[in-house]
Amino acid sequence: MDNDLADISAFIHEIPPFDQLPPNLLSQVISACTICYVEQGYSMPPKQCGANKLYILRKGALTHTDHNDELLGKYSEADICTLFCQQENEGDTNVQAEEDTLLYCIDYQTLHTIVINYPAVIEFFSQSAEQRLKRKMSQINEEAVIASSLMNTSIKQFYHTPVTTIEKSASIQQAAIKMTERGFSCLIITEDQSSTSKPLGIVTDKDLRRRCIAQGLDYSLPVSEVMTTNMLTIDSQSNAYEALMIMTAKRVHHLPVMKKGKPHAMVTITDLMNNESQNAVNVIHIIRKAKDVDELTSISTMLPKLQIKMAKLGTTADHAGKSISAITTAFTIRLIELAEQTLGKAPVAYAWLAAGSQGRQEQFAHSDQDNALIIADDMQPDDDKWFAQLATFVSDGLARCGFVYCPGDIMATNPKWRQPQHVWHSYFQRWVNTPSPKALLNSSVFFDLTTVHGEPSLLAQVREKLLENTKGNSLFLAHLSKNALSLRPPLGFFRDFVLIKNGENKNVLDLKHNGIAPIVDLARIYALNEGVAATNTIERLQQVAGTPSLTKSSAANLIDAYEFLGLLRMEHQAKLLQANEKPDNYLAPKHISKLEREHLKDAFKVIKTLQDSRQATY
Amino acid sequence: MFTHHPFLKWLVGYEIERKRDLLRAPEGPLKEFLSVPFPSVNSLLNQANIVSVDFETTGLDAVQDKLLSVGFIEVQQQQIHLGSCYHQIINTQQKLKADNVIIHQITDQQQLQGLPLETVIETLLKALAGKVMLVHFARIEREFLKQACLELYGVAPSFPMIDTLVIAKRRLDKKDVAYDPSELRLASLRAKYQLPQYSAHNALNDAIATAELFLAQTAHYPDSTPLKQVLL
Repeated sequence: MDNDLADISAFIHEIPPFDQLPPNLLSQVISACTICYVEQGYSMPPKQCGANKLYILRKGALTHTDHNDELLGKYSEADICTLFCQQENEGDTNVQAEEDTLLYCIDYQTLHTIVINYPAVIEFFSQSAEQRLKRKMSQINEEAVIASSLMNTSIKQFYHTPVTTIEKSASIQQAAIKMTERGFSCLIITEDQSSTSKPLGIVTDKDLRRRCIAQGLDYSLPVSEVMTTNMLTIDSQSNAYEALMIMTAKRVHHLPVMKKGKPHAMVTITDLMNNESQNAVNVIHIIRKAKDVDELTSISTMLPKLQIKMAKLGTTADHAGKSISAITTAFTIRLIELAEQTLGKAPVAYAWLAAGSQGRQEQFAHSDQDNALIIADDMQPDDDKWFAQLATFVSDGLARCGFVYCPGDIMATNPKWRQPQHVWHSYFQRWVNTPSPKALLNSSVFFDLTTVHGEPSLLAQVREKLLENTKGNSLFLAHLSKNALSLRPPLGFFRDFVLIKNGENKNVLDLKHNGIAPIVDLARIYALNEGVAATNTIERLQQVAGTPSLTKSSAANLIDAYEFLGLLRMEHQAKLLQANEKPDNYLAPKHISKLEREHLKDAFKVIKTLQDSRQATY
Repeated sequence: MFTHHPFLKWLVGYEIERKRDLLRAPEGPLKEFLSVPFPSVNSLLNQANIVSVDFETTGLDAVQDKLLSVGFIEVQQQQIHLGSCYHQIINTQQKLKADNVIIHQITDQQQLQGLPLETVIETLLKALAGKVMLVHFARIEREFLKQACLELYGVAPSFPMIDTLVIAKRRLDKKDVAYDPSELRLASLRAKYQLPQYSAHNALNDAIATAELFLAQTAHYPDSTPLKQVLL
């Protein structure tokens, strides 16, 4: 039968989750299907099909609306409609054929029985958007560990050499001393001190703790008493992925690397995991040593490559955002230091502040610069000259390093954002106590300010007072919410378009404004409402989880959605960067896989649910 | 009492012919097929049990040409049941002409591994018992099936049939505007109804394609429509 229904079989096999089924089960599923036809304008489900059915659209279009006739979603070719799987859903479900529609129909219970051994398939239909998203994110995180590029990287890139050994007769204390001196967390134990000596075992920090200190063992005993024999090793020709697999499978953190049967080097799990952040650390290291702006400019050309590498390694968007933000911070600090070399010391205490994405540590390569200066209240009118020169030097330098001037002029070069502490106090007081939506729209980035360089207490004091004012301040939060809720995620996809609320179609998905920014805004509102000082979105969500603003599970759902959207953005930008194009936030639906569309829809749903509940609150 | 309508005269004829043929049919598959009454012509179309059938043949002449493959699928209560599908190549015991192979893409090799005509017709008759046959362009299926029955059982019975081509033609004729006969091709009609294009040209695909076209053609019919309205 397989060959005879090849066309239908091929069609259904392309659609997740049916792509996971082996051929024999897929053909069972197909055998249980019927084909039915619904004329334009008619309601679903077709009366001849009965209740509790799942529908796959072969041709045509369906429209899903609620009882107020508000559009909830649309279905087109190769979409699966699960609205009629469970009897109880039918009452308030209004689905109509927008075009003449040809459907494959399968009894939900029958499908359940056929795929009983493939729980992922049925979960795809039965789980909520939140559950599916959570599953997807944990899968992505697992994959991040098994980073594909480790496969192509020799273990040589990661190991430390030479390996440190100690003879088996040495005491436990001698071993501990040697480890401390060399800064190693493990040693290889050999028969004697000769270089040809075979390794007998390994001793790690953990062995010393568990087998010696915790047991009250005399540390003058030979180290062989506490070593691990049956030591796992890896050959120096292996790739990094193999090393990671051995270590994760056997739950060891150190792996001696052998060359021609002799211990040659040591690789640790941290070496492998921190691979990409090592790169960021290296870049920061070079930035610190840069002698002038020219040197900084040439270093900045590495940033896109670093972002591509992070995306390829399966780093989370959070991690990448923090790494890039840390690098921007390093550029800024180095520019300030260079400025101080020519301008001389600052007349009074001050702090250079970052706002917006850098302030939240969510920056991506070559985003705008958003910055400000807070100056101690004892500044004299003449002092501003120094700070203005500093601001110009740093912001010009940043621009040369690829961080374009802020189009909204939120920069320390703007006198408005280069003010003593008491003025900043009054700014926030005005925004919070006599809020207007328009003023808040332009000032929301300032609620994400962090200190990049200088005296941290200046901003900390402002924030402390600010949070006292915002905590539970319903008028202010209502205004902030009103702005935040004006950005709504789309409903989903219809054919190769993004479907938005009023039924209009758009050609591209704006990941930033339709997904990421709404979550950032929500997190800011929760944090200000609860008096949480964090500025990073994930940290804000984690810290407000379980407060009256946000339940723990909703926080987890929002983090999953945020991470997923961030990951898509990172991958999208990496692709553009690699093609030497300017990174943006626009995804064309035809470049989004069927499965990614499903996950995106789930993420949109999570955002919508929390936006709705925010709307109901204020 | 139906005789005042020229169409209905035909319809009543099916049951009469079935009973007459039943007396003449030898013991075996044909007799079993004929011993099940056909659905009443007054029964509701949307409740009808229909079998969509397609044949691939070596030519258009039922006497000289051979039946190459049979595909069918059941339509019950306006749903096409994929689990009921059947497709079989027949071993015609003769070499195929090259120009024909291009159309139906059945090679000599495949054909040799096919089943004998008798087995395939027996399966088809079993599936058709008590049901209505659905085809696109009835002449081929009717004549080849009659011819096969004549050769195998010595009797050429009548089969109650629905023809999607005739349904389409009546609709076009009613409009009273000239049309190109090619508009009546299965693929053209399907395209008109926005039905998907099927890649492979084989008997089962065409049977499914015909069944889908039938659902689309009759979707707007009132629930009270009797079977006789579409019966040939």
